[in-house]
Amino acid sequence: MKFISRKPHYEYLRNKWTLRNQAIQNNFWEKHSEALKHFAVGSLGGLMLLSAPSHPRLSAASEYALSRDDVLKSYDRNVLLAQELLDKIPKEVRPLEQTEEKDITEILSRNFDIKITAQLNDIRLNRNYGLIGGEQHLYRYPGDNLSAHAYNASDFAKYADAGIAPGLGAWGYFAPSQKDFGEVNKERERYYLAIQTFKAPGFAENFIKYRDFFKFRKMLVVNPKTGQTVVAVVGDAGPSEWTGKHLGGSPEVMDELGLASGPRKGPVLYFFIDDPENKIPLGPLKVRSDA
Amino acid sequence: MKTFYSHLIEIESVNVELYKLDLSKEQALHLAGLIDSSLHHTILDTILSKLSSSDKRVFLNHLKEDDHDKIWRFLNEKVDKIEVEIKKAAKDLKDQLQKDLMEAKRK
Repeated sequence: MKFISRKPHYEYLRNKWTLRNQAIQNNFWEKHSEALKHFAVGSLGGLMLLSAPSHPRLSAASEYALSRDDVLKSYDRNVLLAQELLDKIPKEVRPLEQTEEKDITEILSRNFDIKITAQLNDIRLNRNYGLIGGEQHLYRYPGDNLSAHAYNASDFAKYADAGIAPGLGAWGYFAPSQKDFGEVNKERERYYLAIQTFKAPGFAENFIKYRDFFKFRKMLVVNPKTGQTVVAVVGDAGPSEWTGKHLGGSPEVMDELGLASGPRKGPVLYFFIDDPENKIPLGPLKVRSDA
Repeated sequence: MKTFYSHLIEIESVNVELYKLDLSKEQALHLAGLIDSSLHHTILDTILSKLSSSDKRVFLNHLKEDDHDKIWRFLNEKVDKIEVEIKKAAKDLKDQLQKDLMEAKRK
């Protein structure tokens, strides 16, 4: 019996691109195996560069490196953080009590070696434990489009489905024009949060002060069930109370928190990061190895 | 994932064409992975082919650290017009991918 694919265009591309990719990789290894082999042994970082991010193709040397001495290095310590948080997190999703807040910020500060706090410049949020929901991408400058958001093809395949919000974020465009748009703002949109800033105690009485404080304020967001953590900025205000959610995350934030599939929501901890010199990059964060 | 050459590569047109095909998320991710893998190896090959054995090691070390500033300082010092070379290698591959996409649409 002859089977006919229901998606012949996919089968065509899959076959053609698999063969081409194999040929490119074979050529690459033949030409540079000496340097790569020398480099890969005993080095986990070397494994990363030997293949594209999403399709590892390990050499004998790199497999040896992985099995030999990098097992401990590659162990995800964020799982241990989740265990540590287990008995500190309330059973139901509710605002934290003062002692819980203190315990949790101490644990997070120690694990990441950065200052995590619920209160900064005398400003605090209405809560630090809540339900996050997935948001869409945001327009970053006039004339922006969805396809310009991705760093590569995998990025686009992963995040384009989320779409782009018809309105702008709470602070308008990230940059006034494409010419003024750079890496800093690209990362801000990529890792943005919608926070209920309007519910922060004192917001109405100090609108300008609070508005300026919250704009791109750096925050740590932790999925306490898995320990997956991301550094993000406040890029929008929301969500509305009727949604039942307490904050929103960009498609990339949701992915890094392990909440990008299924209902695209879940409970998270979220705190300010005290980073006056702006040293901590946005994106996923790993527990430090000696924590 | 941001790579040290992300700013040099225009892959948007391929992404858009891929997005127009009737693909499941898994299928789109699979094909996108093949694109990124081919591009990554092609660009690394372009760079490594222009370096001496000892310079290859230095470059790979910088790559391991994922320190983009160090990578570019080193490459600009060692290879004349390396950005042009990378752009050309990427464009050649992209042209082939686009041809394949056109062909796939006729299937």
